[in-house]
Formats: sequence, C-alpha cells, structure tokens
Amino acid sequence: MRLLLLLLLAAPLTAQQTPAPKPQEPAEAKPAAEEQKQEAAEASAPAPAADENISGYVDVGYRWVSGPAGNFDSYRSIVNLGEGPKLLNLDWSFQDPKKRLFDRLDVRANNWGGDPYNTARIDARKNRLYNFSFDYRNIALFNFLPSYANLLSEPGLPLGAVRPLFLNQRSFDTTRRLMDVQLDLLPGTWLVPYLAYSRNSGEGRGITDFVSGSNEYPVATRLSDKTDHFRGGVRLEMRRFHVTAEQGGTTFKDDQSAFHSGTQFGNRATPLLGQTLSLTNLSEAWRIRGDSIYSKVIVTANPIDRLDLYGQFLYSQPTTDTNYSLAGTGNFALLSALRFYSGQQDLGFAEAKQPHTSGSVGAELRITRRLRVTESWMTDRFHNASSVLLTERLLSAATPEQTNRVFASPLLELNYSQQEVNLLFDVTSRITLRGGHRYVWGDARVPASELAGGGLEQGELKRHVGLAGVNYRSGQRLSANLDYEASSGDRSYFRTSLQDYHKARARARYQLMDSLSLNGSFSILDNQNPAPVLDYEFRSRDASLGLFWTPKGGKRFTLLGEYGRSTIRSSLDYRLPTALNVIENSAYRDNAHTANALGDINLSSIAGRPVKLSLGGNFFVSSGSRPTRYYQPVGRLSVPLGKHVQWNSEWRWYGFSEPFYLYEGFRTHQFITGIRLGI
Amino acid sequence: MAVVALFLSGSLLGRQEPAGQKPAEAKPSEAKPEAAAGPATYVGSDTCQACHEDIHKAFQKNPHLAVETDKKRGWDGKACESCHGPGSKHAESTEAADIVNPAKQAPAEADRNCLKCHLNQPTHAGRLRGGHGKNQVSCAGCHAVHKGSEALVARKADAVNRQCAACHTAEWAEFQRPHKHPLPQGAMSCVDCHNPHGSFLPRSIRTVSANEPGCFKCHGDKRGPFTFEHAPVRLEGCNACHQPHGSANPHMLARQEVRFVCLECHANIANPATAQTGILGGVPPAFHDLRSARFRNCTLCHIKVHGSYVDRSLLR
Repeated sequence: MRLLLLLLLAAPLTAQQTPAPKPQEPAEAKPAAEEQKQEAAEASAPAPAADENISGYVDVGYRWVSGPAGNFDSYRSIVNLGEGPKLLNLDWSFQDPKKRLFDRLDVRANNWGGDPYNTARIDARKNRLYNFSFDYRNIALFNFLPSYANLLSEPGLPLGAVRPLFLNQRSFDTTRRLMDVQLDLLPGTWLVPYLAYSRNSGEGRGITDFVSGSNEYPVATRLSDKTDHFRGGVRLEMRRFHVTAEQGGTTFKDDQSAFHSGTQFGNRATPLLGQTLSLTNLSEAWRIRGDSIYSKVIVTANPIDRLDLYGQFLYSQPTTDTNYSLAGTGNFALLSALRFYSGQQDLGFAEAKQPHTSGSVGAELRITRRLRVTESWMTDRFHNASSVLLTERLLSAATPEQTNRVFASPLLELNYSQQEVNLLFDVTSRITLRGGHRYVWGDARVPASELAGGGLEQGELKRHVGLAGVNYRSGQRLSANLDYEASSGDRSYFRTSLQDYHKARARARYQLMDSLSLNGSFSILDNQNPAPVLDYEFRSRDASLGLFWTPKGGKRFTLLGEYGRSTIRSSLDYRLPTALNVIENSAYRDNAHTANALGDINLSSIAGRPVKLSLGGNFFVSSGSRPTRYYQPVGRLSVPLGKHVQWNSEWRWYGFSEPFYLYEGFRTHQFITGIRLGI
Repeated sequence: MAVVALFLSGSLLGRQEPAGQKPAEAKPSEAKPEAAAGPATYVGSDTCQACHEDIHKAFQKNPHLAVETDKKRGWDGKACESCHGPGSKHAESTEAADIVNPAKQAPAEADRNCLKCHLNQPTHAGRLRGGHGKNQVSCAGCHAVHKGSEALVARKADAVNRQCAACHTAEWAEFQRPHKHPLPQGAMSCVDCHNPHGSFLPRSIRTVSANEPGCFKCHGDKRGPFTFEHAPVRLEGCNACHQPHGSANPHMLARQEVRFVCLECHANIANPATAQTGILGGVPPAFHDLRSARFRNCTLCHIKVHGSYVDRSLLR
C-alpha cells in the first residue's frame, strides 16, 4: 500500500496538459436509452478540474448501521458491512503528454475502511514499451448460520438423536488476499515478452467437527494457506499467425489444525453400549506442501483468407506432500472391534501427483460469403497417483495398546474428449441459422466405495448432441437469439449427469422507442435418466424481463427494472440403507422470484447539475424446499455543492428471513453519507 | 476429409472474397457493390473528419488511433477506411449506402473487420468454443470502437458487470440471492471467471495454471491433488454441487440444503442395473439412516468433501 500511496502522490507531478478521456462510455451496441443514462450520470457527476491531465473522483463517507435486529451471525454471513469512515471509491487517471514514465496511469480503490471487500488496482502503460497492471483484493469471508448444524433433536429416533446445539459446526471467519502483477513488454509489436506473479493467501479460524467412532465433536480450527504463481512467456503476433508460449509454476502450502481442551460429549445424545462417548483433548494438524509446473502453447493462424485455425496445448503437474498428526483423549469407540479406548495417536504421510494434459484444435472455414463451417476437437486427460501411510495407535488403560497401519494408493483417471461441428448460414444480413453436432466421449476410473470392497470403479461417457440456433437482428433496435441442444444420452458418469436432455435458451432485446428498451430471456433444461432404479428427473426454468425507460432523454426521470423467475424440480429414488428393500423418493422444489428496480428523479438543479433522488431496491423470494426472503430497498440523494463537489447519501434496509429457520433472520437499516470530490 | 471436401466445394461456390488484409485488396463497397459505377478509392481520414467531427474527436482517445498513426500497419492516415472500406463514393454522395457500415452487416462479416487485426491474439484461442461466437454476438456488441479506451474495453468491475448484465439478466438475477460471489459489491467482475471470447472450458470459464478451472485461482486450498479425491469435483467440476452466481445456501450449493446435493448421487442405489449403465457411485457408501436429522448435514462429518489427504471417507 505504500507503493500505491507513493504512486498516487507522484503521478500528478508528471501529468501535463492533454484532454482526459471520459470515465466511462457505453459500448456502441447498447440501447440508446442506456447510453443516455450513462451520459446523464456523467453529467450529474462533479465536473473535472481545469487541469485535464488528471481526471477522476474520490468518494468518502461515513456509514451508520442500526442493530442489526435478529441474528447477528447471519448478518455477518450475508452483509457484513460495518460502521465508520470509509473510502468508498477512488478513480484517478493521469495522462502525461510528454510520455516520460508512462502515457497513462489509472489508479482505482474501492471500499476501504473496514468493509469486507477492499480492492485496489493500478494500470500504467507506455505505448510500445510496456503495459503494467497491479491488482489487489482483500476479501473477508464469514460464515455462521446456525441451521448448518445438527440442531434438531427429533424425538423417537433411537440412533440419530442429537443434541440441540444451535452451533454451526462448519463455520469460518477468514480473510483471503489476492494479488496479481503483470508486465507486458513491447505491446503492439510482433514480439511481446511478459511476466506475471500472483499470490493467493487465506488465513483465519472456524469451527469444524472431529469425527471419531460413532460421535462427532465440534472443535476449533485454524486455517492458513498460500499459493504463489509465477509465469512468463512470449507472444509472437504475426499477420498470418500467432504463437503464445508460456511456462509457469506454483508453490502451495496449507497448514490446518483442529484443537480442543475440556470435556465435551459431541452430537450424540444417547450412550453407546452403555457408555457415554466424550472428547477431552484434541490436537490435530495437517501440513501440506505442494508445487506445480505448467506449460501452455497457443496457436492461432489465418493461412488463407477463408480459413482460421486454432490450437492449444496445456500441461500441468501439481503435486502435494502431506504430514498429518492427531493426538486425542476422551472416551472413544471403535465400532468395527466393539472396543472402547481413551486415547488416540495418529501419524500420516501422503503424497499425490496429478499430471494433466489438455489440448484442442479447431478450424473455421468460410465456404462462401454466407456459409461457414466450424470444427473443433478437444481432449482433457489426467490421472491422480497417490499414496498414504497412516499409523493409528489406540490407547486404553484396560486393554493393550492397538496399532493399526493403513497403506493405500488410490488412483483416479479421466480421459475426456469432445468433437463439435457447426454449420452457420447467413440467410440474410439479419438472419443466421446454425446447426451442428457434438460428440462427447470418455472414460474414468475412480476408487470404489469401501462397501463395494474397494478397488476401482469404471465409468463411461458417451453422448451425441444435436445443436441448433437462430439469430435475428434488425439494425440496433431488435436482436433475438435461440439456442437449442438435445441428446438421448448413451452413457454418463453419474445419475445426475446430463443424459436424456434438452436445453433451450432464448434471448431478445428490443428498442421499442428511443426512450424505452426491453430485454428478456428464457431458458429451460430438462434432464432424465430413466434407467431402472435410477429414475432421475430434473427440470429447471429461468425467465427474466428487463426494461430501461428514459423519457425525454432522462432529463427528469429514468427507470431501470428487472424481474426474474426461476424454478427447479428434481425427483429421484433412493434406497433406505437400513432397509435396502425400501425405495423412497426425494423431491426437491425451488421457486424463486427476483426483482430489482431503480428510478432516478431529477428534482432541481444547482450550478447546472441536477439534484437527484433515486428509489428502488432488490428483492428475492423463494418457496419450496427451503423458503427464503431477502429484501434490500434503497434510497439515494445526490446534491451538487459546487463545481467539483457532490454530497451523496444513501439509506438501505436489509431484511433476511427463512420461514423454517426464523431464528436466522435479521433486519437492519444502514445510512451512509459522504462527498464526492471531482478532480 | 469432410473439411477438405467442404473447402473445395466452397472454393467452387465462392462468390465474394472476404475483406482483405491490405488496403489494396479491399473491395470498393461490400455492402452494395452494384451501386458503384467504378471502384471507390481511399480518401484518408481527414476527409471523413470533415463531416464526422464528433467521431474523429472521440477517436483521438481510442487505442485504435495507433492504426491512424503507425505506418507499419499499412493504414496510416486511413484508420476510418481500415474498417469502413474506401470512402471516395461516400464522400461524394454522402449516401450511407456508399460505405460499409459494420453495424448493418451480418455479425460474422462485421467481425471479420476486427479479426483482420485481432484474430491472431491469445485471447481468441477459444473463440470456436465460446457462446458469443456461436450465437453471433459481434465484437461491437461489447466494444465501442469509436470511443475512449474504457468504452472500448470496460475494465472497472462495475462497468464490466453492467455490460454483461444488460444481456445476461437471468444470471444477474442470481446475484441478488443472499449468498453469492461479491459482484454486486464491485469486488469481482464477470470476467474474473469467464473469458467472453471463449475458453478451453465450458461456459467460457477461465483457466489458471494452464488447464485448471479458474475457480482454483482464489480457492487454491481446494485444488489438491488430494490422496483421496472426490470424483465429481474432478469429473464434473465445481458446479456439479455449487451455484457460483448465487444461492440461498450459505456454501452456495446448488440445492438449499446439503443433503439434497449429496443424496442425488449417494442414493444407495446398488443394483445390477446400475452396473450395466456404467453409473459411478452405484454402491452405497454407508448405512446411514437418511431419515435421521443427524445424517442430514453430510458435510458436518465429511468435512473434507472436496478431497482428503489422509482419509478415504473424507472425514479428516
């Protein structure tokens, strides 16, 4: 961050006189109404200072949070915004007309001051010399919803009775930091070397379960992992072809621990064979170290005007080495030997290696001006060779020590291939038809269930898919697209995999008038696996409709609204393990409505800039297997205070509730006020 | 063989050459060639500026200005005509029909203009597999060619998200659910996970470390390789269980409760018929009483559900 501050201070010194670009401009194909809104938004922003080499703005403010009423842990899991002074947004661009250290430098920062998502980015470039980017993100991840636990103590269940703990046994409070640095040299020339470095690290604590015998105990856990990526390569960009060759590597470390002190009885509420199971002390640790090398070669070529060729070869070989240790005391049970013991000491050593090779080739052939054919083939192959030696010592005052050694060398193999051919025909300049065929095939070998006697299971994948599409556009006013694929599958890996399915998606955008644009989409996926016993059925539907209305160019009022509805229906049979001749059905239903809207009203103007009131919000309501409601109404007021200063205020209400788990709901008002300084 | 045959037949059927790579190869006007009495010629960008001052001004902030100024590219002084074709007839008549307007061309034809220069770049290596290419979403659908650099390529997270959400409304609706990746907060953007130009992986998912799904860039602790892998993670990817855009489940699962996700595969469906179908996981993994509340939250015990370094049952 010192570097960031230094650059912020130093950059204006090097900036000189040239016109600055607008902060944002919409793409040409966006509806005119959207473009107008963007322009209106730019007009309402504080004007840039006279020195146009520097442009941008900074938003600072203070946030107040009421409550929250209800469950604070749920609030932290979903919203997690706190009180206090904030640097909300910073966006500066500097241009140096003398082009000394850089031609242009962009600095951005968002949500600093204790918020859960902090980002910073710096881009610098000098024409034909370098492109440099630095990206930093600091993301706080908190998750503690009480329902994510064994909280229900149901009467009448002899074995499954559990304690009503109301404690999330899979919770975490962690921070993840991500940094990316990339330097491209000689951009825009035919030879572009580049170097990049990324770091991804996470650290924090949480609650997890220690599972032993016929009981599980919630214990504290500490997490710390870090991955460093290094890569470098060269891009060769010629008129008829291009080659990118990249070599990279990663180093990985992951230290996890679980620990506990003091007697607890876990989730099991009933004695086992007359004894109460308990945990007194626990110290468990994983120390994982890994690395990988990887290579990438990408080729594109245009050997003749009618033909484009594409190819990729990708290879990686990640490995891990693990040291594991466990020391625990309490009263534990070994069900397989019907034995109780008071102490356990485990040591484990494991290693895994996963060579992974992928490749693809493709071609686009323009047979005539209107007729094209595309053909692509890809393959993805890897195997995971691993081994573990686990030594387990069970200690007891009443019986001799028992030592178990387990050695395993599980294997996982995947060979996946896909070939696809598409024929595209421009019927007119407005209509394009597409038809094609995709063939997917592969095989996999995975470790089988212990109850199946271990060993390996073999799976097979084979699927022919028919493809079709229609695209219609009428200038920039109307565009519509239909995409369809269907297959009567032959072989699939899992019962939930795509088997007999059809999938369709339609999208349309229509500029009804200059001030009103509409867009909508609809998609459906029907999948079935009617094989005996499996009898799996799945259907999902999504429909959405959006409008953007800017009467009179948005001078007084604009409205943006979207509504979406989605449904999921899943039905499958399963056998009760305790009575394998009984087949039951599991039905899952989810019906969700989502809407968001925002209306902007220009109340009056000060110094030629509008006073703007915005009202709207988001809501999400679902019913079905687990109903949920989440509301976020919002109101904003923006008042210009001068040529370069604007006062912004926002009120937002967060309301979350689940009818089946009322204790997880929360409600809170948030008010934030601050100023935007234009530069 | 089929490709070769198609190519040969195409050569016989071909009526019009695609846009050329050099000024000399360009056709006078591909939009309405019959309207021209003779071939149009190049007039230079200064002529265009005389009428299209606003575009000319905006273009000064556009990285494509390099086409205008860089002699090595072969279009110096003729940047406008590098996409719009020779403009002499249009300059004389001021008729729209006398100049190529990519906005009115079929997307593939319009894209040829862009791909004349941009095809041979690494970001386009997955173009044939990307949904945008297949569904005729042209380059100009996302890139404002005449305007400033931020409009040409949106780089701010909220600008990228706004641009994608303009078409992908259903996907954006998923981000209104309680548990999601932080896109609405502007901490991430769609292009952090997707390459809009197409990718090696389905749904244009980005890759990291050459051929790994982009998810592992941030979730490196789930990468492994593990001694005991959970097969669906490798065979079907993260979205076999997760709804990455947003979910009502705290762990962004595709079903709102864990048991529904796990049960769909681990349904104790041992049967000779499953062996015939080649379905994996056909043998019951355990004898849990699935009616019991204790066994409804599978990942409470199977804490290493993404894969374990030491335990076959993914318990530790």
